[in-house]
Amino acid sequence: MAKKITIDPITRIEGHLKIEVEIEGGKVKDAWSSGTMARGFEAMLIGKDPRDAPFVTSRFCGVCYSVHQITSVRALDVAFGAKVPWGGTLLRNLVMGAQYIYDHPLHFYQLSALDYIDIMAIAKYNGKDKDLLAVKDKIVGLVTAKDTYPLTPRYEPDAFSVNDPDTVIMAVKHYIDALKIHAKARNMGAIWGGRTPHYQNIVVGGVTSYPDINQVARFRTMLDEQARFVNEVYIPDVLLFGTGPLLPLAKAGIGGGHYNYLSYGALEKDPAGKNLVFPAGVITGLNLANIKVDHFDPDKITESVKYGWYKENKPVHPYNGEQVFDLDKKEAYSFVKAPRYDGKPMEVGPLARMLVAKNPTLLDLVGKGVKPGAVARHAARAIETKLVVDACYKWCDDLLDAMTKPGFKIHDTEHWDPPESGMGAGFYEAPRGALGHWIKIKNKKIENYQAVVPSTWNASPRCEKGVRGQYEEALIGAPVPDTENPINVVRIIRSFDPCLACAVHIIDPKTNEIRKFLIE
Amino acid sequence: MSKAAAPSAANSKGGDTISPQKIVILGVGNLLLSDEGIGVHVANELIKMNLPPEVTVVEGGTDGFGLLNIITEVNRLIVIDAVKGGGAPGSIYRFDINEVQSCPSGFKTSVHQIGILEVIDLSGLIGKTPRTTVIGVEPKSLEMGMELSHEIKAKIPKIIELIFEELKKYN
Repeated sequence: MAKKITIDPITRIEGHLKIEVEIEGGKVKDAWSSGTMARGFEAMLIGKDPRDAPFVTSRFCGVCYSVHQITSVRALDVAFGAKVPWGGTLLRNLVMGAQYIYDHPLHFYQLSALDYIDIMAIAKYNGKDKDLLAVKDKIVGLVTAKDTYPLTPRYEPDAFSVNDPDTVIMAVKHYIDALKIHAKARNMGAIWGGRTPHYQNIVVGGVTSYPDINQVARFRTMLDEQARFVNEVYIPDVLLFGTGPLLPLAKAGIGGGHYNYLSYGALEKDPAGKNLVFPAGVITGLNLANIKVDHFDPDKITESVKYGWYKENKPVHPYNGEQVFDLDKKEAYSFVKAPRYDGKPMEVGPLARMLVAKNPTLLDLVGKGVKPGAVARHAARAIETKLVVDACYKWCDDLLDAMTKPGFKIHDTEHWDPPESGMGAGFYEAPRGALGHWIKIKNKKIENYQAVVPSTWNASPRCEKGVRGQYEEALIGAPVPDTENPINVVRIIRSFDPCLACAVHIIDPKTNEIRKFLIE
Repeated sequence: MSKAAAPSAANSKGGDTISPQKIVILGVGNLLLSDEGIGVHVANELIKMNLPPEVTVVEGGTDGFGLLNIITEVNRLIVIDAVKGGGAPGSIYRFDINEVQSCPSGFKTSVHQIGILEVIDLSGLIGKTPRTTVIGVEPKSLEMGMELSHEIKAKIPKIIELIFEELKKYN
């Protein structure tokens, strides 16, 4: 007899996500992914000056602000007919590169690692390493004081959890190191962006401020420190876990899904944009023996609202998308729409990018038995962080070279004013995956605006054909021997790095006594 | 923060490093959800004012982890945010963060994300946690929109007055 369990909300992600699974014979038989928060900020943009869009869209989310900004700007570049000079592209790439460098390690250590280790094993550490003993004291102290958030609460460790005290204590030390390095990484983007969060330098046509040599030097110094962490801590940890303690989980391939992958492509390595750090492409029904990557065609994107709380409509291209809620729709179960490519659900994000790129490091891991799934997703994320770090060094060199030559430009000033009418699509690869913004301009104002975010692809509900979204499909067959402890379900979902924030950030203290602090 | 470091992640008045005494007024919230953005609106008002040199204003949007670089570098933090305290819209609360419990006890059912209070908690793992006071405002509207509702907007002078009182107390 099947048993239905609901996890609402999934914690340690950004935003509100509800997952329902039906368990039969200790395995997930069916699954439903529901975004439980209404979005639709796009409606605010209608009638505004198109140049406001990057700044408004950067407020969609406190986590993914810069990627919305740049994707919006890229849509404007197309609609305005602006040609971004190489200097502008380099500065955009550097500011965005910083985002990858602080986002990915944070996801692995702060948001995911606790799914894979039994942190309480720390108490059994008997080694002599002073740093590690300090970590042990710190954690044991917190446990004694019953103040262990955010290390707990958690689901119970299972057969796949790492409980060797030496491995666990090292992982927790790296968790703390990752926090320190994260705090530093956040300042890198501000060198170019003027501030963080919410960069100020990226505008239609390029960027707003010329670089100087000191900025490049400062960025490089900070990059050195980040590179050391990525190369000496993050990647070795992911490889150690992926090919060691987590190999059984990786070999079981839990969290696979539809095996369809999409990358819009991003981060130019040359002025013509021929070579990208993340190439664009589509894989349908992955065959690891012979990976076939098709050309990405933007016209093949549609969004279905059959199972969304939206007014019924046939699947439409995002240019024509609308946001009319229908909360009484019987079959609806999510505020997330169902984007499809050529009618098919797609996975977007690091695993999609590294498969589309046929990245040799990832394929080597696949050769060792790491099947595309939850563990491979973490590996792909680490691998591509290094690609971005390496690219940042190259962009610094290219920038120094370009800025010392006559005629150095960072902006296409000919195309600053909005056109009378026009349309444009902006495509980008956010850390979480393919991000698209579509704009229509009429009378120099925004006539329509739509964003399709990475978590919409991954967290999508069923489409009009009843085909599951990627989270839903990835959960099918996942072992859940104990329905009270669905740890594999959260492992799979968190491996995608969900971000459905795009909304409120209110302080909601868990006490009824907040009124005693009332002063007016 | 060493002199060689990047500009502080601050929408700060003028300078680009946090001053030695390190008092930060951090306005947070979502600018697109009317009163949810009260902290951002207050920060933007403060930036226009003459403030003591040791004070930096940071407009943090809805960032969480991303504010670690600020939180771990300061001695005194004053957070301005919308707070659901159950009072009438426009109610103003003032509390130190050690006076409230932000961590959920019922993990599987509680609505919880990694927010500003949790990140302040986490900062303890990598250094010292600044003495933190929250000045919170009970929102009236959380509808989409970039304007505050009238009742909440009218509270801005009072909120700023309270911030100055905090600064006086600290000195």
